[in-house]
Amino acid sequence: MHFTLRIWRQSGPQAAGRLERYEIDDINPDMSILEMLDLLNEQLTRDGVEPVAFDNDCREGICGTCGLVIDGVAHGKKHLATTCELRMRGFVDGTTITIEPWRAQAFSVVKDLVVDRSPFDRIIAAGGYVSANVGSAPDANEILIPKVDADLAMDAAVCIGCAACVAACPNASASLFTAAKIAQFSYLPQGQTERERRVVRMVEQMDAEGFGDCSNHGECEAVCPKGISITNIGVMRREYVRALTGQLR
Amino acid sequence: MLDLRAAAWSSVGKKLITGLTGLGLVVFVTVHLIGNLTIFMGAEAFNAYSDFLASLLHGWFIVLADLGLVGFFGLHAWSGLSVWQSKRRARSSGYAVSADARGPSRKTASSRSMLYSGIFLGIYVVLHVWHLKFGAEYVTTLHGEEVRDLYRLVVEQFNRPAIALAYALSMLFLGLHLRHGVWSMLQSLGMLNRRLLPTAYGAALILGGLLAIGFLVLPLYVLFFVDPVGTAAAMGGLR
Amino acid sequence: MSLDQPNTALDPRCPSGPLAERWTKHLSEIKLVAPANKRKHTIIVVGTGLAGGSAAATLAELGYNVINLCIQDSPRRAHSVAAQGGINAAKNYQNDGDSVWRLFYDTIKGGDFRSRESNVHRLAEVSTEIIDQCVAQGVPFAREYGGTLANRSFGGVQVSRTFYARGQTGQQLLLGCYSGLMRQVDAGRVTLLPRREMLELVLVDGKARGIVARNLITGELERYAGDAVLLATGGYATAYYLSTMAVNSNASAVWRCYKKGAFFGNPSLTQIHPTAVPQLGDYQSKLTLMSESLRNDGRVWVPMQPGDKRRPNDIPEAERDYYLERIYPSFGNLVPRDIASRQALYRVREGKGVGPTGVAVYLDFKEAIGRLGRQVVTDRYGNLFQMYEEIIGDDPYETPMMIYPAPHYTMGGLWVDYNLMSTIPGLHVLGEANFSDHGANRLGASALMQGLADGYFVAPNTVGHYIASVDLPKVGTDHPAFAAAEREVNARVTKLLSIQGNRTVREFWWDIGRVMWDQVGMSRSEAGLKEAIDTIQGLKARFWEDVRVPGSADDFNKSLELAGRVADFFELGELMARDALARRESCGGHFREECQTPEGEALRDDANFAHVAAWEYRGDDTEPARHIEPLDFEFVELKTRSYK
Repeated sequence: MHFTLRIWRQSGPQAAGRLERYEIDDINPDMSILEMLDLLNEQLTRDGVEPVAFDNDCREGICGTCGLVIDGVAHGKKHLATTCELRMRGFVDGTTITIEPWRAQAFSVVKDLVVDRSPFDRIIAAGGYVSANVGSAPDANEILIPKVDADLAMDAAVCIGCAACVAACPNASASLFTAAKIAQFSYLPQGQTERERRVVRMVEQMDAEGFGDCSNHGECEAVCPKGISITNIGVMRREYVRALTGQLR
Repeated sequence: MLDLRAAAWSSVGKKLITGLTGLGLVVFVTVHLIGNLTIFMGAEAFNAYSDFLASLLHGWFIVLADLGLVGFFGLHAWSGLSVWQSKRRARSSGYAVSADARGPSRKTASSRSMLYSGIFLGIYVVLHVWHLKFGAEYVTTLHGEEVRDLYRLVVEQFNRPAIALAYALSMLFLGLHLRHGVWSMLQSLGMLNRRLLPTAYGAALILGGLLAIGFLVLPLYVLFFVDPVGTAAAMGGLR
Repeated sequence: MSLDQPNTALDPRCPSGPLAERWTKHLSEIKLVAPANKRKHTIIVVGTGLAGGSAAATLAELGYNVINLCIQDSPRRAHSVAAQGGINAAKNYQNDGDSVWRLFYDTIKGGDFRSRESNVHRLAEVSTEIIDQCVAQGVPFAREYGGTLANRSFGGVQVSRTFYARGQTGQQLLLGCYSGLMRQVDAGRVTLLPRREMLELVLVDGKARGIVARNLITGELERYAGDAVLLATGGYATAYYLSTMAVNSNASAVWRCYKKGAFFGNPSLTQIHPTAVPQLGDYQSKLTLMSESLRNDGRVWVPMQPGDKRRPNDIPEAERDYYLERIYPSFGNLVPRDIASRQALYRVREGKGVGPTGVAVYLDFKEAIGRLGRQVVTDRYGNLFQMYEEIIGDDPYETPMMIYPAPHYTMGGLWVDYNLMSTIPGLHVLGEANFSDHGANRLGASALMQGLADGYFVAPNTVGHYIASVDLPKVGTDHPAFAAAEREVNARVTKLLSIQGNRTVREFWWDIGRVMWDQVGMSRSEAGLKEAIDTIQGLKARFWEDVRVPGSADDFNKSLELAGRVADFFELGELMARDALARRESCGGHFREECQTPEGEALRDDANFAHVAAWEYRGDDTEPARHIEPLDFEFVELKTRSYK
């Protein structure tokens, strides 16, 4: 297969970026898109051009490191897949593929297609945990959790933190990411004691990082490689109301 | 722990305000439409309805309703505008290529145009109030009492094709706004789960559509089927 | 021996007495650091996976100052995230006769009697506390309708002791651990430093007192000083180029420590997992693991005739060789990982391999679909089938899956004593990075258990013991040892960038991977290993003359990162081959062709090799020295594993 690639190149956070055009041949349809970029980088290195920087690690869709906007869609047009899971057989031979980084004011571009997602870590640090010091845990089966609740919690917990939700949101909102963690704990008995504090602090941090507001477009769910539902965002709002009314008590 | 004022300004707080005010406005618009349908029953029914509202609670109902509506519209507009502002800040440089993700996405022409349809409706509301609420104060007699002849004003205005068509057009924007707004307000208030969300999303299309059509046919009905002179004659002429 | 002297005698420092009481006894005997003094001590933790992240969080909870680094952009992305199957614990919730002893024994036996009894028993003991801790953190383990925890049987053991969270157990455990870590970051007790790569260990008076790390964004070298250094940097199967590990997994941190005097334990012991999606072409960068659970219902076969190129469904039953069922009638397709892997290799060597490359075997679900119905098969393996179809483009419901073994886990690692301390005082090694409790072969669902055992329960106690036992005068980053370490790193980086030869780093990586896979892989011979050592030395020399590393040192430069790691793979690969050569027996994942029974089964040599081999670095131009820690089996009887 042959492709024309238009790839965002940017030397650093402050530098101006631009789309550069590259031609690439001999692409095996079974290759992943990241393997195609590996090949491009080999070619560029031999030609004395600096290779394209892109983040990736596990290459099996679980670590959440990779993430490219491919032809305008975060993680490409294929649903329920991360960038590394995209195979070239899913693209039309001879076409042009445009590859851009996640774009959000909260995520500065480190280089080329690599962005800084540390705001997500700070959102978790603000309350995405259950305070349980090692040594103080009761026997695991003393906490009974109905299967339904455990499953709902798991549905939210599958988030891999890739930030495609932010990239795809027309408002660059981090609501789905933040809400998934809040929802996970809202379903579990372990999460109850810090419930109000959690939602208030996490939302506060999310706002402080400069993410946009949510307009319920639902693009986030559509690009989420793990299919996390926007109903979790509804849970976040319920939890917020709960914290507010608790305040009035 | 939670400063209520700060909470109102937070991204979630703003959604709650948008949702609550949106819910209030949808209820208002629905009641407004049902009331307006009395126009099909003729001048007497319509004027009776408007007089009923005007005299409720010795006239205080209208005052309270007006104040409430001004507050709801104001808050709704403020929160909507601030969502838009946050979006401009949060993504100052956009994508060279953008496309829809499709699948479970709820992004539509309606959701993308909320700001514009909202601004349009805001302007419309101002003109509408100025036009009808503060329009000519015709008087008529109903069951022996003098009441405002709002029917006549409406008929007179809607018999001017430009006005009738402008109203009808505005109602298309209302439908556009409500297609996303109706389900979105429920989602903003955290009222939807996995089962309810698709239902609400479908219901929004129906409710938004019905409200828009309902309001849209009124001016057109008057324009094409109600004769202002005949009406005036039927009501006993000008006073 | 005093804790502040290099433990070159390899004293395991295990407590004595009844096995089941050793850990408790040790805990009550080790020294403690007073609560008010803990905050005066800084501990450097390298790595944020299950071992590193849990150690950092727990040490911070105890009151220490913790500096925690990782190469990923977030601690949540450490490769623990990829574990699918589950985590073992001797809870006996299923009332099926499980016990701490049974988990201990299964682990020792599964490891082919090449691990320490005391360590493994401790691992089995704390396994139960791990589950308690994870549940308390909100890890959403699978549940029964009554609300209790669900278990499954995993990896061919006879009890159901594996806890799981869909196919994402590693991810969920790591997120639990990460949440605890971020709580400490928020509390100001942990200084979190993502996108940092440790490139040198700093020794002061022979003790580990700091590290030099490269900021992967700016390229700057940064110095961190502390009272102890904890390495939790994972495994090094990426030395094989293609493996199931993340592409950034590497050996550089442990390798720097090895070269600073830490002994390397059993470097050649590698687990080759039997059920990965096979390699389809040279472009491939990574092998994807398919959960071992597939072998519960899938049947492994190859055509009876070598070179049979017919499509699988066109090959009649009579012409198929269900070789695992044939050779191991009692265990069949559920033989341990090392055996299943080796048998696949033999079939390929016989020319019976399948698929476009001839390097794969079939895993067939036709019988299972017939027996259980398609729906049950979908419920059990649907997501795996889908994953397979994504990669290969074939539907496993219709056409048998192709699988082939892939390097998956390294049992070898830096040698540590019972306190998880290496031969260098103060340098502790946790999780997969140490030479580990898994002996010569790791059981399924035990890696997560070991990582969390080390991080939550062992190291937080033993590191305190070290700090309380030795004299630790204040050392700042202005100490000359830091400047010296930084010079070493700089020299290396400058050298890598200055060569500007003709071959890319990836080409070299591919080359060493090929040698490692062919000659230091599933089946090893004396001649092959000797040849491998020669080839690797040649590759290494060529690398340092002909590699081309683009870009600069003061920038985000992935090629430079990779170059440093590949440079270390040459040296590590050579040591792996040397270790494999010296271990003239077959045990667990290590199979020497010279050491097999007439039927082709592994032949262990307990008389000569019931020991840990720990290698000492003696300079680039001198051969490393092989030292021995004898393994005394006081409580279990050494038996030959038999799965016939």
